[in-house]
Amino acid sequence: MPRADVVIIGAGLAGLSCAAELAERGARVYLVAKGMATTHWTHGGLDVAAPPGARTASDGIRLLAATHDHPFRILESDASAAVAAHLGRMASEGLEHAGSLDDPLGQMPTSIGSLRPAAIVPSAQAAALAPWDDDGLVLVGFRRYRDAWASYAARNLENARWPGGPSAIRAVEVELPDLARLYNISPQVLARLFEDSAWRSRALSAIADALPAGAWRIGLPAVLGRDAHAEVHADAERRLGCRVFEMASLPPSVPGIRLFEALRRRILSSAGRIQIGFDVVEVERSGARVTAIHTEAASRTLRIAADAFVLATGGLAGAGIRASHDGTLTERVFGLPVAAPPRGGWFSDDPLLPHPLEAAGIEVDATLAPAELENVRVVGSALAGMHYLDERCGDGVAVASAHRAAQSLLATRTVAA
Amino acid sequence: MTFHDAAAREFPPFSTDLCIKCNVCTTVCPVARVTDDFPGPKYVGPQAQRFRGPGVGLDAPDHSVDLCSGCGICTRACPAGVLIAETNNRARAAIVKERGSSLRNRLISDTDLIARFGVPLAPLANIGLNNGMARWMGEKLLGVHRRGPLTTFARRTFGSWWKRRGGATSLPATPDPSRTVVYFHGCAVNAFEPDLGRDAVEILERNGFTVIVPRQECCGLPFISNGLYEQARNKARRNLSSLAQFARAGYRIVGTSTSCTHALKAEYREMLDFSDGDATAVADATWDICELLLDLHDRGELDVGFAPMVEPLPYHPPCQLKSHGIGTPAMDLFSLVPGLRAVDSDHDCCGAAGTYGLKVERWQIAYDIGAPLFDKVRASGAARAACDSETCRWQI
Repeated sequence: MPRADVVIIGAGLAGLSCAAELAERGARVYLVAKGMATTHWTHGGLDVAAPPGARTASDGIRLLAATHDHPFRILESDASAAVAAHLGRMASEGLEHAGSLDDPLGQMPTSIGSLRPAAIVPSAQAAALAPWDDDGLVLVGFRRYRDAWASYAARNLENARWPGGPSAIRAVEVELPDLARLYNISPQVLARLFEDSAWRSRALSAIADALPAGAWRIGLPAVLGRDAHAEVHADAERRLGCRVFEMASLPPSVPGIRLFEALRRRILSSAGRIQIGFDVVEVERSGARVTAIHTEAASRTLRIAADAFVLATGGLAGAGIRASHDGTLTERVFGLPVAAPPRGGWFSDDPLLPHPLEAAGIEVDATLAPAELENVRVVGSALAGMHYLDERCGDGVAVASAHRAAQSLLATRTVAA
Repeated sequence: MTFHDAAAREFPPFSTDLCIKCNVCTTVCPVARVTDDFPGPKYVGPQAQRFRGPGVGLDAPDHSVDLCSGCGICTRACPAGVLIAETNNRARAAIVKERGSSLRNRLISDTDLIARFGVPLAPLANIGLNNGMARWMGEKLLGVHRRGPLTTFARRTFGSWWKRRGGATSLPATPDPSRTVVYFHGCAVNAFEPDLGRDAVEILERNGFTVIVPRQECCGLPFISNGLYEQARNKARRNLSSLAQFARAGYRIVGTSTSCTHALKAEYREMLDFSDGDATAVADATWDICELLLDLHDRGELDVGFAPMVEPLPYHPPCQLKSHGIGTPAMDLFSLVPGLRAVDSDHDCCGAAGTYGLKVERWQIAYDIGAPLFDKVRASGAARAACDSETCRWQI
C-alpha cells in the first residue's frame, strides 16, 4: 500500500502544478487521475484573467476579485507568485515564455481566424503579440493536414477587427516532403518529423519557396517539435529569415503536450509518483479528516493513505462534478456539497452568453478547504464562482489555487515536509 | 457506476460511444510514436468501431488495427473512460475469426506446445535459438524475426522440478489460507525461466508461506494478443477450473509475471467473456508477487533482512503492470534493500508486447518503441536492470 504526504486527485494544470510545488518542497506526493485531463487540448500559454473590460491580466484579476464569490476573491494575492513559479518551472524544463501579468492583453490569432486576448504565451507564440508595425502575416498550411486551414483562418482574420494588426494577411499551402502516402496526418507525426533535422531542412525549404517577397511574420500550425521544440523553432526562424509563431489547433495540441510533459517530469524528478488511468472509488474518513482513498484496479482496489488530499478533478466540464437527470449535482470523489444555481436557473437564453450553471463548484475557506473536510484542499475549476470561458481565468485560477493549497498544506504542517 | 460504465465492463466496445474525439490516446500510443502506418488508437478504435458489427462487415474498415501492440496505454489515458485497447483487441479477434490466422501466429502463441517439444530437445533447440543461420531460416520460413527477443529453453521444466521436490499440488488437509499461497508460474517460468520460479518459492517460504503449485497451463495471453480467442478460452477454462477451488477457499494466487496475473485478473473477463463465479473468484484472489510482498511489508510481516546491494538499478515498469492499477510495488520493495538505487525508466513501453516484437513485420516497430529505454539502461552503467514481465526482460 502506497503512503504519501499528499494525494492529488486530477492531472490537469491545477493538480499537476500543486503536485509539482509540493514535491519540489520535499513532500511525498502521489498524483492519481482517472485519465488525462485538458492539458492536451490547450494552447500551452497561461490565460490568467481576461474578463471583458480588462486591459492586463492583473487588471482582470482585480475585476474578478471584486466579483461576488469568484475564486480570485481568495486568490488575488497568490496570482503573481503562482505565475512566476509556473513560468520558472516551464523554463527549467526548456519551455520559455514571454509576457507578464502587467503586459497589455494582446490579440492572438487562432487557427479558425478569430482573435483571443492573451499576454503570457510560450516563446514560440510571442511573435504574434509583438507590435506588428508594417509587418504582414503569412499563414502557412500543409497540404492534406486537416487540422489547420490557412486560407480559412486568413479569410476570417481579414474580416476581424484587429487594431494594430498586420499590414496584410496572406495564406499559402505547402506540400511537405514524404507525406503524400499518409491518409491521416496528425500533429504529433508532424512534430516528430520536425525533430528530424534532415526532414526539417527539406520542409523549411519548401515553406521558404512558398513565401511572398517582403516583410512578413509566419504563422505555422503548432507542430514545431515536441521534446526539442526550442531548437526546432529557432531553426525555423533562422532558415526562413523571419519571425515564426505557432498557432494551436484542434486537439491534440502539441504545446499542451509539452506543458503536460514538463510538469510530469518536474513531479517525477522530485520523487513524486503518478498513476493515471484509475478512478477513485472509495474514501476512508475519520471525523472531518480523510485518511485514505482507494483507486480502482484490475482486481480489488489500491489503497493510498495520506495526511492531506487535493481535489483537482475539474468542474462540470471536466467531470469532477456530475449532474443527474433530476438536477442534482454531485462532487464525485468526496461527495462534497456543490454550490449551484437552482435547476430552473442553470441556463441563459442566449447560448453564447455565460450560463449561471458554469459557476457551479465547491465552496471553500481561505485555505481552500471545504467546510466538511479539514485536510482536503480544492483547486482549479472544481472551485465555485467562475465562468472561465468568458473570463479566461481557468489557467490563472488553476496555478493560483495550486500555489495557495500547497502553501497552506506546507505552512500548517498538515504535511510534515 | 453509470449504466454506460457497467455495460462497457461487460462488453468493451459499448464504451466507444463515450469517445469525445480528443485524440489524447493517439498522443500516448507507443506504436503511433514510431510509425506513420498506424493511424492511432482513436482511428482504429472508437472511430472504426461504428463500421464493425453484424451487417457491416466484421473487419471493416481496414486492417491497421492489427498494428496495435495491445499495451493498453490508450485505455488508461482516455479521460472519457473508453476501453480502447480492449475494443481493438476484440476487433482483431473478429478479423481472425473471419479470415483465419497465420501458421506463425498460431505457433508462437502456443507456448505450452512449444515447451512440450523445446524442453526435451533443449540442448539442440538452444543451439538453434542461438544460431544465426537457424534464426535466419526461422525468419524466412516462419516469419519470426531473426533478432526477435527469444530466450533459451530450460533443461527441465519448473513443473517437473516441483514434482521431484514433492511440492503440494492440491488443497491441503488442514486449510490455512493466511499462510498458504497458490503459485501460478505460467509458461515462461515453466519452460524458460524455472530459476525465477524456484526463487519465488524460496522467497515465499522464507516469509512463512506454504506454496501450492496446482495443475496449470499458459494463461493464454499470447493467444489473446493474436486474436485467437477460442484457443485462449480453452486455456482460460482449464486454468479457472483448476484455480477456482483455491480462490473460493480463500487462498491467494500469486504470479511472477505481471502479464499472466493481469490475464487472470482482467483479460479472462474483459476479452474472453468469462463472467461466472469462478472467473470472479480467481480475479479477486490473484496477486502479483511484488504486490503481495509489499502487502506483507505493510503488515510488518515481510522479512526485510536484505543484504546490501550497493548499485544502481534501472527498473522498467511494464505496460501490463500499469494496467493492474497497483502502482509500482517493486519500487517500494527496492527501497528496502540497503544501497540499492532503483530508478524508474519513465519510458512508456519496451516494444515487445508479448509476441509482437517477434514478428518479422513488426520487429522494427518494437525495436524503435523500446530504443530510448535501451539507451537509458545502457547509459546507467548498471550491471543489471529489472522488470516485472518476461518478454519485456528479453526485449530489453
